[in-house]
Amino acid sequence: MTEPDRALFVPVLLGTVRQGRMSLPVARLLVSELSRRPGIETEMIDIARIPLPIDDAGQAIKDPTFAAQMSRADALVVVSPEYNHGYSGLLKHALDTCLEEYIHKAVGVVGVSAGPFGGTRGIQDLLPVLRELGLVAIFWDVNFSAVQTVFDEAGTLRDRAYLPRIDKFLKELVWMARTLRHGRESIALESEP
Amino acid sequence: MTAMICPTCGIEMNHHAEKLVYPSGPHEASSVDPVLGGMIEELYTCPRCGSGASRHAEPTRGE
Repeated sequence: MTEPDRALFVPVLLGTVRQGRMSLPVARLLVSELSRRPGIETEMIDIARIPLPIDDAGQAIKDPTFAAQMSRADALVVVSPEYNHGYSGLLKHALDTCLEEYIHKAVGVVGVSAGPFGGTRGIQDLLPVLRELGLVAIFWDVNFSAVQTVFDEAGTLRDRAYLPRIDKFLKELVWMARTLRHGRESIALESEP
Repeated sequence: MTAMICPTCGIEMNHHAEKLVYPSGPHEASSVDPVLGGMIEELYTCPRCGSGASRHAEPTRGE
């Protein structure tokens, strides 16, 4: 299959295990918006469903299913709630189980908070982690502030202003994913001088 | 450098990245590059199917 025929795989990583998490409707919305775009395959990956022990960490506890999803991915959307001004510890725990699977792939972060800042503090702390993992972060974020007011009880989006923001975010992410896939597959590192 | 061949497609994979990683224990100490201070992981991607592969690079000479 040639490059233009092969769909991009862009999973959405739900980065919290907290009961009653308001990031769940956010992740579902991102999956829905990605699914509407031609040439994109997506699914939600819930870190609560990755069977990871907490008496070890890193690649030693790599989950084969999650690793295969990351290997297949061309880009990643991380839905990252902000807890106590930081990202979720278990999100880092899950991310740290892979490395080579991420390298030269695009990532975009969606911040979520109950307060007014839309997860920006958690995003800022997460970016250097993503960089060290070999991911390439885009310059668009989506910030869900006061998330408890953004969706109704059924998880339906109340505030339609988020849709054009998500559109801009996904356009940039897909462009970066296509560009990086071309690079991974076709552009070699410089040889020794 | 020996070419990395895609196990699925049988064609040469593209060498697109080198990542410095650090040893996880004494068993990997002999693989540490004395110049770079860690181990170089070479990353490859198949231009046909897009699958990835990796391997440790040989340590460089500290000249």
